[in-house]
Amino acid sequence: MSIYPNRNRLLAGLFGCVIAATAQNVADLEKRITEFDLPNGLHFIVLERHTAPVFAGLSFVNAGAANDPAGKAGIAHMFEHMAFKGTPSIGSKNYAAEKAAMDALEKTYDLLEEERRKGPRADQARIKKLEADVKSGIDATFAQVDQDAFTRMVEENGAVGLNAGTSMDSTVYFMNLPANRLEMWFMLESDRFITPVFREFYKERGVVRNEYAMRIESDPQGRLITALMNTAFADSPYHVGYAGIPSDIENLRVADALAFRKTYYVPGNITIVVAGDVDPKQVRALATKYFGPMPAGPLPPPVISREQEQRGEKRVAIETDAQPMMAIGYKRPDALHADDPVFDVISGILSQGRTGRLYKELVEEKKIALGAAAYATFPGGKQDNLYILFTVPNSGKTIEELEKATYEIVEKLKKEPVDDATLKRVKINVRAGLIRALNSNMGMANALASAHVGYGNWKKLYSALDDVEKITAADVQRVAQTYFTAKGRTVAFMTKSTTQEAK
Amino acid sequence: MLRHLLIFSAVLGLAFGQAAKAPAKAPAKAAAAPSGMAARYKNLVFPPLRDVEIPQVEKFTLSNGMKVYLLENHELPLISGRALVRVGNLFDPAGKAGLADLTGGLIRSGGTKAKTQEQINEALEGIAGSVESSIGETSGNVGFSALAETSDQVMALFAEILTQPAFRQDKIDNAKIRERSGISRRNDDAGGIAGREFSRILYGPNTPYGTQMEYATLDAITRDDMVAFYDRHFFPANMMLSVYGDFKTAEMKERLEKLFGNWKVQRPPVPAMPKVSETAKPGVKYVEKTDVTQAFIRIGHLSGKLNDKDYPALEVMSSILGGGFPSRLVRKVRSEMGAAYSIYSNWGANYDHPGEFSIGGSIESKSTIDALSAIQEEVSKLRNLEVTDQELSTAKSTALNSFVFNFDSPAKTLNRMVAYDYWGYPADFLNQYKKAVEGVTKAEVLRVAKQYVRPENFTIVVVGDAKKFEGKDLKALGMPVEKLDITIPQPKQEKAKSDAGSIAKGRQLIDKAVAYVGGAANLAALKDYVQSVDAKMGNGMSLIQKNSWIAPGQLRQDVTLPFGKISTFFDGQSGWMKAPQGEQVIPGAMVGMIQQQLFAELLSLLRSNQIASRVVNYAGEGIVEVSDGPLTAKLVVDEATGAPKKSVMNAASPQGPMLTEVEFSDFRDIGGGLKFPFKSVVFQGGKQTNEQTVTEMKSNVGLSLEELSKKP
Repeated sequence: MSIYPNRNRLLAGLFGCVIAATAQNVADLEKRITEFDLPNGLHFIVLERHTAPVFAGLSFVNAGAANDPAGKAGIAHMFEHMAFKGTPSIGSKNYAAEKAAMDALEKTYDLLEEERRKGPRADQARIKKLEADVKSGIDATFAQVDQDAFTRMVEENGAVGLNAGTSMDSTVYFMNLPANRLEMWFMLESDRFITPVFREFYKERGVVRNEYAMRIESDPQGRLITALMNTAFADSPYHVGYAGIPSDIENLRVADALAFRKTYYVPGNITIVVAGDVDPKQVRALATKYFGPMPAGPLPPPVISREQEQRGEKRVAIETDAQPMMAIGYKRPDALHADDPVFDVISGILSQGRTGRLYKELVEEKKIALGAAAYATFPGGKQDNLYILFTVPNSGKTIEELEKATYEIVEKLKKEPVDDATLKRVKINVRAGLIRALNSNMGMANALASAHVGYGNWKKLYSALDDVEKITAADVQRVAQTYFTAKGRTVAFMTKSTTQEAK
Repeated sequence: MLRHLLIFSAVLGLAFGQAAKAPAKAPAKAAAAPSGMAARYKNLVFPPLRDVEIPQVEKFTLSNGMKVYLLENHELPLISGRALVRVGNLFDPAGKAGLADLTGGLIRSGGTKAKTQEQINEALEGIAGSVESSIGETSGNVGFSALAETSDQVMALFAEILTQPAFRQDKIDNAKIRERSGISRRNDDAGGIAGREFSRILYGPNTPYGTQMEYATLDAITRDDMVAFYDRHFFPANMMLSVYGDFKTAEMKERLEKLFGNWKVQRPPVPAMPKVSETAKPGVKYVEKTDVTQAFIRIGHLSGKLNDKDYPALEVMSSILGGGFPSRLVRKVRSEMGAAYSIYSNWGANYDHPGEFSIGGSIESKSTIDALSAIQEEVSKLRNLEVTDQELSTAKSTALNSFVFNFDSPAKTLNRMVAYDYWGYPADFLNQYKKAVEGVTKAEVLRVAKQYVRPENFTIVVVGDAKKFEGKDLKALGMPVEKLDITIPQPKQEKAKSDAGSIAKGRQLIDKAVAYVGGAANLAALKDYVQSVDAKMGNGMSLIQKNSWIAPGQLRQDVTLPFGKISTFFDGQSGWMKAPQGEQVIPGAMVGMIQQQLFAELLSLLRSNQIASRVVNYAGEGIVEVSDGPLTAKLVVDEATGAPKKSVMNAASPQGPMLTEVEFSDFRDIGGGLKFPFKSVVFQGGKQTNEQTVTEMKSNVGLSLEELSKKP
């Protein structure tokens, strides 16, 4: 979920890809990277890359949709949207008047909720009146807003790729700017983290609800993936999925966002990467000047609810008139588990380029599938999660045929050790992957932050290469046998509508 | 021409992100009450941006006429390159839409004269290299990517693929299967429908720019067509090869001369791309899609070209209207109304032909009409009032300050140079554009808005569910409203040649088959039957099925499943279905499918000589084609004995047309002097999916329509 629609996807999800490089590039990379902590706990990573006078700034908050409290599913995402609404000094025509109007609105809204809570004893006339008051309260606050001041400022200064994204485990804010806007970026970025104003909250809530409508409700694939998460996870917060719950979203309040911020947006829970044509000394000075005043806070509590062992296959059918697709998910442990790199190697075996077995067998040989891909970590890596096989049948082929053929590929992983040539091929492509990723400021910024937060050290980016290098055919076979079982499996697929309203 | 969208790759990403356009200047004056941070921001002095280094591209022509562009860059140990070919799907012959698309993919996937696709895959991926090929609307691309240390091998494969593609038939067949699947899926994505239909209407659905691949055009494409299409367009003088990365220019020159010097194919220059002729009749086109909670919209008309004198002003105009957060449409429809997540406008221009001016987005269903009206209002404001100083300054600063991102990677300079040469644009086009943006005034924005934006010519495409528009009507938009039918045309069934002789022979063979099962009189006397069937499905599941039939074609089926019974009744025109979860009338879309299935039933085909509207035609090898209006099927008969062997039809199915064959055997008496196959094996798409064994069958039991249609 992101603030801006219709734009390219940020490279790689959290934890997802393990990448590594040749020794020379790694050595070179190490020389160009510096790290430091501010006294309040905020961590900075700086990557020098002087190819062109531009830089990428990325703020990585170690909290996402998995941290949404019960009844507030969608608040992490909502918060992400609010981070573009400005601060007391940016985005208001008259902040004192705006603040007064916002406070009044919250009071009225409290009264409305109080009345609604009476349930069947509630006074409907009073509810109607309070609803009208809330509506005019929203208009009153809106009258004081200098719309889009924040985004206008950064865009006027040449920001490119300005956006943010909320995943299960993290929320990321990013933009590219000309190199001479470094101080401006620090100024604005620190201002919105230290003194955000949740203005236009109730209008933006509608936007967030509409994002859900677009990505999930109106998109067959979105519905399928959401159903997979809803079904596969019973206890884990991954159960809900990253888009929240519509009825929760429709009832979110400013106080919810404030509470979320207080808990999760503390300096020790944030990592900032600056990558590009910058001087690390200057970055440090600016970081101290602008983020130094951010008050420290206790680290947020981790997610407590752990997924219990799955005791049998789960299946979910989505009725739709759209053409079918299928997602098969196997329960797997979190990204810090020793088997983590083995799953990445398996993804290489199954899903890499045109030699991956899914493509080779399902698409080219058996001609059952229009497309097929494996994802090692879904929907996040911090908790136990899913290894996913996503497949789309060709016209005239059924989900049943496709499912059967997919299992044959999975069984082969369990029965036969993978051949040396394949293993070698997977490993060299992992290595090449990092070299290719080095080509982009933003891609590197995201990879560095993800590695630092996910594994505790950005160097995991290339030490992961050693992990991958050590993996043997026996490891692959063992991991496949351990996790790719019917018992730990969830299958989500589409089927034609069979039941409609009885007439 | 339009291509259908493929769903893939996207979706599973966890974080959704964005890219963006760019350009700009002027230190931001902007905004807000100058207090606190805003004041500090206002006083901030930006150091001068250091100059970008514009890399020197080495440009030359190989002895065979191939133009080459080289740009050394040693930041990473990588080399990549691509051949840009003057070709495009605009050159698809009439009736063969899809030829360029297929040819483009098959250059890489169809193998080479010496190697299969699989051998190439292994060779490339074994050294982390890649080669991919495609043909788009106005150009073709064959590109490679390699680690520098193994670039020799990758480039050798690249040259082999570019110059010696084999278009192996099995890979053509495979690509066609996938294209068919793509066609069958093209109406699943509401946003995709809106964009596609909008373009087709604007350019004219029967012009090269608006046509699209259909089952029929795909079927018409042969390997010979592809080979000829490739031969006509892929020759050295018709391409520009650019190579970027970790090499020495002099060495690379030699490598390329060695790789391509002997490729001396010559052809006459390819013709110019066809011209666009605007054909759209203005109005609202509504596409009904009920499984969405938003309306996906496109509003606009054809725009212009990149080198139009007024393009820079139009870009500024469009960015003020809907080019990002600080734009009017986003403010109005997204921020104020909260009615949309995605809303934008774009003055889309092409190098050589008019692009699309479009306003698009997806709007919550209930606010659709209000949002569309609000958009109309914004357009009208744009044409009648000057934009504000702040709007102009924001739009220009945004463009000019991000201008540096046109140079943030040396490869961008290389690609731009190649593109400008391909289209005959001046080398300094980008700088001309920048200068022009700097000079745009408010008066000019108003002038171009008045001159170029023509609301009376708008095509408005709305994909969604009008029942959810809260009682408001699309007619409120003040334009004629037309419902657009986007049903995917099914392929015509191929028929054998027919003449008096073949028709007579067909009728004879049907008669022979009728005689085999008991003769015409006995068949005519069959009024009904009841049978129990044991059906083994492909997935190993077994079903008990009871079929009840009354002549000539009323059928009831009761299927027992582990979770309950499903009963279906069909009287030839309509019917119902009842399952434990509920009950429904057989939907219109399924009626045709069921009629086609019943048409191809053995008893139905055997009666063909008695039904005047049916045409029966012998197609050789015991095959009789039977057709009746849109319904067609084949009956395969043992010519020696008259035994019906198999029925064949191309059944419409939810997954698109599917070849369905039923093999008959084990004929047994069912009374009344008739024999009926007690075993039927069903094949779909060539695969066995179902084996049915009749366990009990009785005929002429006096079944009444009342009994037959009684709901359980």
